Amino acid sequence: MKVAYIFATSRHTVSYVLGKMILPQLEENRHGVDVAGMFFFEDNNYVLVKGNPTGERLVQVAKAKGMLLMGCDQCCYEREIADKLFDGVPIGCFPDLYKALSGNMPDQIITL
Amino acid sequence: MTAACREACCSVTPRFTVTELFERGFRRNRAAPFALEGDAIADAEGNSARFSLALEADRIAEIRFRASSCTTLIAYSEALNELLAGFRPDMAAQFTPQDLVAALPGVHPLKQNRAVLAVAALRAALLTAATHHTARPRESGDPALDSPLARE
Repeated sequence: MKVAYIFATSRHTVSYVLGKMILPQLEENRHGVDVAGMFFFEDNNYVLVKGNPTGERLVQVAKAKGMLLMGCDQCCYEREIADKLFDGVPIGCFPDLYKALSGNMPDQIITL
Repeated sequence: MTAACREACCSVTPRFTVTELFERGFRRNRAAPFALEGDAIADAEGNSARFSLALEADRIAEIRFRASSCTTLIAYSEALNELLAGFRPDMAAQFTPQDLVAALPGVHPLKQNRAVLAVAALRAALLTAATHHTARPRESGDPALDSPLARE
């Protein structure tokens, strides 16, 4: 099965669920499903800013597995981080997300 | 009587950032277009923009637009309005996409091509304005010749 994650809530979503569950499992190839992509809303976009330690690991995994990472464009502009993201990580809105996933369509989209 | 709040939360100074330009542009994007309207311009990604102009004393008073719901495109379009108000149309036509990218820092590198679309749509409206201006009959200074009836 192939999934995509949408990180929509803030609280522990990135630091705990992504950083301590999903990401280590992906690094150890034992997540159980393929991840087609991840999309980040609100403050969750800070994980995509250059220098973020969780983001560094996430970008490595994404490159190795061909996984899409995308930040919400309005969220990034609001936080003035759109030009500070890891190289090659795009921003966009729903049309960009759907277009980017269209070549690697997930079976399920999980909103966290 | 209490003094006006001077904190940042109550500042009325508009900032020239992508997110604030988008907020202002989002409202302008819904305003009715002016009569001097250019052709709609589209890009390969499915975005489009159509600009219209209000001129006062042969200078740009305001630029309005109808743009796709792309944050960067709307911010660039609003930036053109705020940067070029007061310019003569022939001077505004010299403004390039590179100028626009340089004027608005903070845009994601993969979205900076929206500046090309915004400037192309502006130039289409400027072309309409120039055509309209050129098509107007010149006034001779003679009231009899310059009356609408005399022109017909």
